[in-house]
Amino acid sequence: MPQAFNVASQSATASEPAVRIQGVSYTYPATGIDSSAVQALDSIDLNIQPRTKLGILGPNGGGKSTLIKLILGILKPSKGSISIFNNTPTKARNRGLIGYLPQRIEADLDWPISVREVVSLARTCHRKPWAKPSVEDREAIDRSLELVDLQDLADRPIGALSGGQLQRAMIARAIAIEPKLLVLDEPMVGVDIAGQQRFGQLINTLQERLGLTVIVVSHDMRAIAAVADRIACLSRTLHFHDAPEGLNPAVLAQVFAHDVAGVFGDIHIDAHRAEDCDDPSHNPCGCDHTDENNTNNSEGNQ
Amino acid sequence: MNNLAPIIISALMISLMGGALSIFVVLKRLAFIGQGISHAAFGGVGIALFLGLHGATTAGAIGQLTIVVAFSILAALWIAALSRSHKGRTDTAIGVVLSASMALGFILFTVAESRHAHDDHGHAAHGHEDEHHIIEEILFGNILNTDWNKATIAIIASLAILTFTWFIRRKLIFWAFDQPVMDAYGLNSKRLTNTFLATLAIAIVMSMQIAGVVLAAAILVLPGAAALNLTAKLKPAFTYAILIALAGAGFGLLLGFKAHYPVGPAIVLAQSIIYLATLIIKTIAIRS
Repeated sequence: MPQAFNVASQSATASEPAVRIQGVSYTYPATGIDSSAVQALDSIDLNIQPRTKLGILGPNGGGKSTLIKLILGILKPSKGSISIFNNTPTKARNRGLIGYLPQRIEADLDWPISVREVVSLARTCHRKPWAKPSVEDREAIDRSLELVDLQDLADRPIGALSGGQLQRAMIARAIAIEPKLLVLDEPMVGVDIAGQQRFGQLINTLQERLGLTVIVVSHDMRAIAAVADRIACLSRTLHFHDAPEGLNPAVLAQVFAHDVAGVFGDIHIDAHRAEDCDDPSHNPCGCDHTDENNTNNSEGNQ
Repeated sequence: MNNLAPIIISALMISLMGGALSIFVVLKRLAFIGQGISHAAFGGVGIALFLGLHGATTAGAIGQLTIVVAFSILAALWIAALSRSHKGRTDTAIGVVLSASMALGFILFTVAESRHAHDDHGHAAHGHEDEHHIIEEILFGNILNTDWNKATIAIIASLAILTFTWFIRRKLIFWAFDQPVMDAYGLNSKRLTNTFLATLAIAIVMSMQIAGVVLAAAILVLPGAAALNLTAKLKPAFTYAILIALAGAGFGLLLGFKAHYPVGPAIVLAQSIIYLATLIIKTIAIRS
């Protein structure tokens, strides 16, 4: 078995990883008479140390959403195992260890429900039916609303919020359960660069204040760069690069057709590895360089 | 006409339950699923009649009710399962279940009736009239037949459904507001969907006592739809929905008793008029 990629924060010692993924594969079963089983993930090994912010970058269809569903315990691995703070994903989720921000907000915004009620629900939905929200519940809810700067809009109907405010409300809901791991699924689709930077600052603040471990997945390297301090590349298999500085811009530019330097600023280009990447037999990123459709898709979603 | 007390109490209890559930039905957009389940219940009635379970005796009535409830719950769960396998195409699932159950119900009903006519030589014409009467009752309800036995079942079922819904209200609100992420928050969306649809199936069978197969679902939609025209807050919405349901039931009973209109359709019509009134109030409030 290949050695697992280790994602550690600069200050972290060799403590128990927050997330330990060992030899995980996932294959979607055939869904109809004219379809066949699709392998979405192949032998993923990844350890994420506490308090790191890992960005998982990959093309559309590269298995990012599948990995998130596995981490959340919504899917079970076909092979391998996942542990989140020494719990199975299902247990970790049910114990409120994982906060989750979905890719698309599909909530019914016509609902007659206030921002505070939405944030409260994540905590109170597990309470006994006759139990009123406790003092701790109310404090956690108020603190979450303050952290995302929505305390003044807390009593507005959820449908009255702007797109950015709505996303912050959903982040407040995710942190209201006081999780140790925050999972962000494509958090910046359709967000401009200034918005991405603000989002990155917000996640940084939350991470520092709450001591969170953060996983952000995206096909958009700017989104990843705005949030993450460690990056892995996922395209069915996982390819880990220790930090944004270690990423090979030539490779990324080929995969995603972006001006990488413009995103990451002054970064070190490893000429040797760039040459390697030109050689089809050696593919350090492992992403599908030849897939023009993916390239186009990722561009179209910017 | 029977004693009025069981009729009035049943109508009010079922309406109270319908009013409370209707908020979830409207907000979760289950009105059409409600129609599917109530029409599917016709299949259950057909099976019960085919098995010789008529409402004339207490044992027969309980047997019939059990089969109709079981069949409606199965239909509800089948709709939920078909919706999942068709990647959320709920309308197709309802179309399939509704048509299949109605077809099955009517075939079994006809077989049961022809067997009945065959047994009683010489009473064929009479049997035909009965057949029309029974079909009419199944389709539009006949609450005037309610005795204390039926009323007791309606009261217990309504209270049980209200209590159960209150117990799982927070999970239901999360589910109805944002089902796609609820699993990530440790709630089982599939189980909750099935639980609520099964509860809705029982509620619809109870409502059929008032309004029959065709109109039962309306009792579980109209009060919530009207209430949500009046408020954008959840707690008042429940209060308004219950009050509107009870007012509609009151008007309907009055029309039924005084003007001899069929009570079920009168209740549904009264609730529809209240709905229209709230729509006008909402429109005026938005414009001013």
